[in-house]
Amino acid sequence: MMGLISYLVFFITIASILAIAVLGLNLQWGNTGLFNGGVVAFFGAGAYGTLLLGGDPQSDHIGGFDLFYPLALLGGAVAAGVLAWVVGRLTLHLRHDYFAIATFGVAVTFENVMRNAEGLSGGAKGLRGFTRPLEAFVNNGFTYNVLFLLVVTSLLVCTYLFLERLIRSPYGRLLRAIREDEIAACSLGKKPDRIRLTAFITGSCIVGLAGGLYATFYAFVSPQDVLPTLTFQLWAMLIVGGAGNNRGAIFGTFLIWGAWSASGWGLSRFAPVEVQLYTGTMQFILIGLVIVGMLLWRPQGLFPERLVVSQSGCKSK
Amino acid sequence: MTIKRIAHKGTITAGALLCMSAFATSASAADCSIKVGAVLPTSVDWGRPIAEVAQYAVDLANEAGGVSGCDVDLILRDSQVDPKVGVDGAKALVDLDGVQLLLGAVSSGVSMPILTSVAVPSGVMMMSCCSSSTGFTALAQEGKSKGLFFRTFATSGVQAAVGAMVARDKGYNSVAILYKNDDWGQDISKLIAADLESLGITVTTSVALNDAQPSYRAEVTQALKGKPEALYLALYPTEGSAAVREWISLGGTQNMILANSLKSDEFRDNVGLQYLGNATGTDTASPRSESASAFVDLYKAKFGSEPNGPGLSNSFDATLIALLAMHAAGKDASGSEIAAQVANVTDPNGTAVSADAAGFAKATEILSGGGTVMYQGATGNVRFDSFGDVSAPAVTWTFTEAGTKEASYITLEEVDEFMASVN
Repeated sequence: MMGLISYLVFFITIASILAIAVLGLNLQWGNTGLFNGGVVAFFGAGAYGTLLLGGDPQSDHIGGFDLFYPLALLGGAVAAGVLAWVVGRLTLHLRHDYFAIATFGVAVTFENVMRNAEGLSGGAKGLRGFTRPLEAFVNNGFTYNVLFLLVVTSLLVCTYLFLERLIRSPYGRLLRAIREDEIAACSLGKKPDRIRLTAFITGSCIVGLAGGLYATFYAFVSPQDVLPTLTFQLWAMLIVGGAGNNRGAIFGTFLIWGAWSASGWGLSRFAPVEVQLYTGTMQFILIGLVIVGMLLWRPQGLFPERLVVSQSGCKSK
Repeated sequence: MTIKRIAHKGTITAGALLCMSAFATSASAADCSIKVGAVLPTSVDWGRPIAEVAQYAVDLANEAGGVSGCDVDLILRDSQVDPKVGVDGAKALVDLDGVQLLLGAVSSGVSMPILTSVAVPSGVMMMSCCSSSTGFTALAQEGKSKGLFFRTFATSGVQAAVGAMVARDKGYNSVAILYKNDDWGQDISKLIAADLESLGITVTTSVALNDAQPSYRAEVTQALKGKPEALYLALYPTEGSAAVREWISLGGTQNMILANSLKSDEFRDNVGLQYLGNATGTDTASPRSESASAFVDLYKAKFGSEPNGPGLSNSFDATLIALLAMHAAGKDASGSEIAAQVANVTDPNGTAVSADAAGFAKATEILSGGGTVMYQGATGNVRFDSFGDVSAPAVTWTFTEAGTKEASYITLEEVDEFMASVN
């Protein structure tokens, strides 16, 4: 029983961290229509940024500034934002598929830089030697995980509330206007390029925050964490949950990550020994089927976007 | 009627008795089971044989009476070479199945987060067959792995040292290095560069090669610039063939030193044997003991082929050593108690035991009596240092028409002595 609770705490922690990243992606794709094909680069910038700023001093590469943890986490998010600013300035004038290809390239570049810049990132063997905040004061691994879960879920709730407010504000309507018809938005005196850039940076900061939490939890990050697989996983979560709907984004994350974990566990538990070696392959097929099925029968996702023609500014409904 | 009924009853009783005795025998073979977790990349082509060998080692142990009289139940989780998936699998094994022993993972990038976020916080022992990163040694030196991590894969140090010995013995004065751009390649290139420098041999350049590039002309040209007398290659066959073909076509030297990853027919055929006359390979070796050849025989009998893939003998040894340590620690031992017993299984002064069912049975008997054993496995007389690393004897080899042939054998003592002399 204790084991089950302990595992659930772990599972919800990871799923919540991924959900924060999917929320950031939802702001970019669901609300603004930016096809970010390189989410993982911003996730990685947050992860590396946090560990470099908050890690223990290292002899073989820079970083290890041992900053106060919340500052390190914030620094990770800012690092992702700065990367988004640079990438955005260069590529945001591209449309849809071109933008997707450009950002995908950025993500591959990011991974390669992290793999090679040993002085910065520790190279292929990754960044280790991070002491998790307050771990010295909490002796028990389980208690620590519960505390970490509380921090992560409260950050998830904060992100959710922030984004809900944001998309209900005039700024949110502007994002949708640009997504639907850029020329119409221009004709009303709006500057789509500028708005797209701010939305891209905001979304990337949120993805970077998730990356920072992820690296903190594992106390480790390596180029293997920033492979394109993660981009596809995050996209699958958003598509299944429902692009444009924040609740859908969170739900989709829990569902897909749950399916990923549960199918692995179920196959290892119930499949006969001879089949065990093939569980990994079967798992890929199962997850693939779920995504293909969703796209065929419910392409708008489980929680479709709720389109509102106009909203009253007054509290009363 | 009555007689019939009695007779009928008789058959029922006999049947019941038979049943009971059948149950009794099966119960005495496995009246309990001990769970052991494995996180291995079974969905990857080279990962599956590693898992198959681990399962086979568990079968052998069960055949020999199991661990503490219990059958070992290996629960296999696929890491998909994805750190998130691997950690999730490991966490589920520890929390939901209550394992105290984890086998795996293969990639250092997966093993490391499992170690730091699951194994160490939960106090579970971890035995990897194949993770080569020097990061684990550094983590152990900082005391952060709490003595819970072991690996049967000789660190890249051995391989690099033997490469440097070859360069010294052949009298090369300058060497260029081409290496695969991953944790293994980066480690080994730095290690051999340091070894060569301390032998007074110049390293002209050290160039990283990324996987799956259409051409390596730029990298090869860069390596050619210093006009080295020899070339050191820490590459995998696909990239290795492409790079060496360009190297030779651009007039590079045919004096080559190869890491064990290039010990492959694919590489030989793609490059062409006529260009490999001066190529000397290095490899960590099985000791000249019966148990090492016993593994080859066992493997051939079970799988019908030579154990030629990466990590197979390491996976076999990792599993058996871990299971013996588990037996020595007794029933319901914690991860750290099992880890503490590893030294008693690999004690150089212990009774030698072979790596098969008979050897396992003998070892469990001695360990139960409080003795220690020296496990002689597929990778030799495995002995861990205080950081959970192993050293190993080595061989040098050359390519032949039929495959490869051994050129020289370097004992564990010679390897250790050389490594001590260059550091």
